[in-house]
Amino acid sequence: MARKRRKQEEWENNMVENKSAADRVVDVVVYVIVALVALCSVIPMWHVLMSSFSDGKSLLAHVGLVLWPVGGFTVEGYKLIFQNSSIINGYINTVIYTICYTTIGFLISTVTGYALSRDSKLKKPVTMGLMVTMLFSGGMVPAYMVIRAIGWVGTPWALVIPGCTNSMFCIMMMNAFNGVPNEMYEASHIDGAGHLSTLFEIALPQAMNMGSVIILNLAIGQWNSWLPASIYVPNKKVLWPLQLVIRQITSENADFLNSSNPNYSRYLIQFAVIIAAIAPIIILFPFFQDKMEKGVIQGGIKG
Amino acid sequence: MAKKNTVLAGSARRTWKAELKRDWVLYLLFVPIILYEVVLHYLPMFGIVMAFEDYSVADGYFRSPWVGFKHFINLFSGEDFPQAIRNTVAIALLRCTIGFVAPIIFALMLSLIKSKRFKRISQTMSYMPNFVAAVIVCSLFTQFLSKDGPLTLLLTKVFGAENQNWFANDQIPVFWIIYLMMGIWQGIGWGSIMYVAAISQVSGDLHEAAALDGASRLQRMFRITIPSILPMVVMMFVINIGTALAAGYDNILLLYMPSTYNVADTVYTYTYRQAFGGGASNYSLSAASGLFQSLVSTILLIGSNALSRKAAGSSLF
Repeated sequence: MARKRRKQEEWENNMVENKSAADRVVDVVVYVIVALVALCSVIPMWHVLMSSFSDGKSLLAHVGLVLWPVGGFTVEGYKLIFQNSSIINGYINTVIYTICYTTIGFLISTVTGYALSRDSKLKKPVTMGLMVTMLFSGGMVPAYMVIRAIGWVGTPWALVIPGCTNSMFCIMMMNAFNGVPNEMYEASHIDGAGHLSTLFEIALPQAMNMGSVIILNLAIGQWNSWLPASIYVPNKKVLWPLQLVIRQITSENADFLNSSNPNYSRYLIQFAVIIAAIAPIIILFPFFQDKMEKGVIQGGIKG
Repeated sequence: MAKKNTVLAGSARRTWKAELKRDWVLYLLFVPIILYEVVLHYLPMFGIVMAFEDYSVADGYFRSPWVGFKHFINLFSGEDFPQAIRNTVAIALLRCTIGFVAPIIFALMLSLIKSKRFKRISQTMSYMPNFVAAVIVCSLFTQFLSKDGPLTLLLTKVFGAENQNWFANDQIPVFWIIYLMMGIWQGIGWGSIMYVAAISQVSGDLHEAAALDGASRLQRMFRITIPSILPMVVMMFVINIGTALAAGYDNILLLYMPSTYNVADTVYTYTYRQAFGGGASNYSLSAASGLFQSLVSTILLIGSNALSRKAAGSSLF
């Protein structure tokens, strides 16, 4: 494989010399377009980052992209975050929801994946049951009514349980456990280990490649989620996740800028809070990029 | 394989009682998912009866009056719902064509780039929008396309378009195009991963032989790379059609406003608004509209899956 790749590289390098004019034009066009796509992907975030370090008053007067802090570098926006109790509260809520949702979802998917990978009478019916839910859903309102009947509306349970696992994740974990060599299960069985210790001590470490893809998908999904909260806890601000707080701040700002005496700090705060919300993902991204990419290629799931 | 069969026969041969006695821990492991699926997925399926009732929360499923297809007739005889269907179809079509091709073209372009470093860095940068929360993406686009926003200014200066708040524009393709562009911006990098992987699997020998025969890189792309990844493209296309109605409309909730409902309202947002949009909730009407969407999605999924099996020889399930 490596030899093959080297060979191909060699070839491509040789080609540099006898490249035609048309090839060169194609080259330039391709480089420019790819660079443009890459730049467009990060410029809006850069704009927000630089705005968050700007001076509120100058920022409000500024028109166009902010490529450098306007009105001098300040950390005013970040100071304002710490004075805003609803942002701090939303941040804490999001952290708690993400941890709970990811843990519960990962545990259910793992346990189910393992159970489906072993021989039992429930293997077939449960697989069928999972398939059906991939094909058909009752819809938003009937789901809401069930959750209401359980008494979860207006509680954090409605945010951390529904959606924490799905057929896809269970089947992906099942495949991962099926991929563990049978000898390991047999050895564990001979040692007298039960299902639980086999699962968590022997099989799961081998299936963690897939496991970590699921954990990352769950965590990022919950960190960025806003819709369930808008359905299940719309009037309970203490339970709002960060994203719902951001939605309120940014949508209020839209009206607010039309008022005769807009408050600069409130305009500034939205940029700082957006940076605070995406910082954990951007900072951790280099560490999980490879895993997520492999997850997409193997599992065909789109993060 | 033979061994596996005998083991399978093992559980099939034993009675339930013997199985439970022998392997109760394993059966216990099924409890969470069965509870989860029954309560959160199967009970709501029975809950769709409310689409045929004048459901009120106080009366519940069993005492609310049965009205048959009244809500469906209301949906289709009104103006809002057919309009929402039209918008949904328009957006879905744009996504299944332009939105589908964009990541493929990006992957092909990446394959033409020789500098490994440049390729890797641009790829990483292009992934970023996929990980930014919907609320943030939408608020950014709202800002950028507002009156005097950076993108609006660009459009005004370069293309001579009128300086306006683009999200308040209720003319026909405007919102559809913006929403398509937003989807492409978010997904072009992440969506290209599969294709980049597939392209890297194409045999180097083929390229080598073609290059020896004097094929340019562009020619090799059209004659070798594209035909090699075509089966996968077909499969992804079919999957895309299958899920075209099921997902990806929730961002509209963050972007539309009453004055643009005529172009931005979709079946999904209509369903949401009837039940949770503030104001009086019409749960039955919302359930009817949700049921319509679920049914069409299911038909599309099953149909596209069958098509995929025929066309590409592989299917989702």
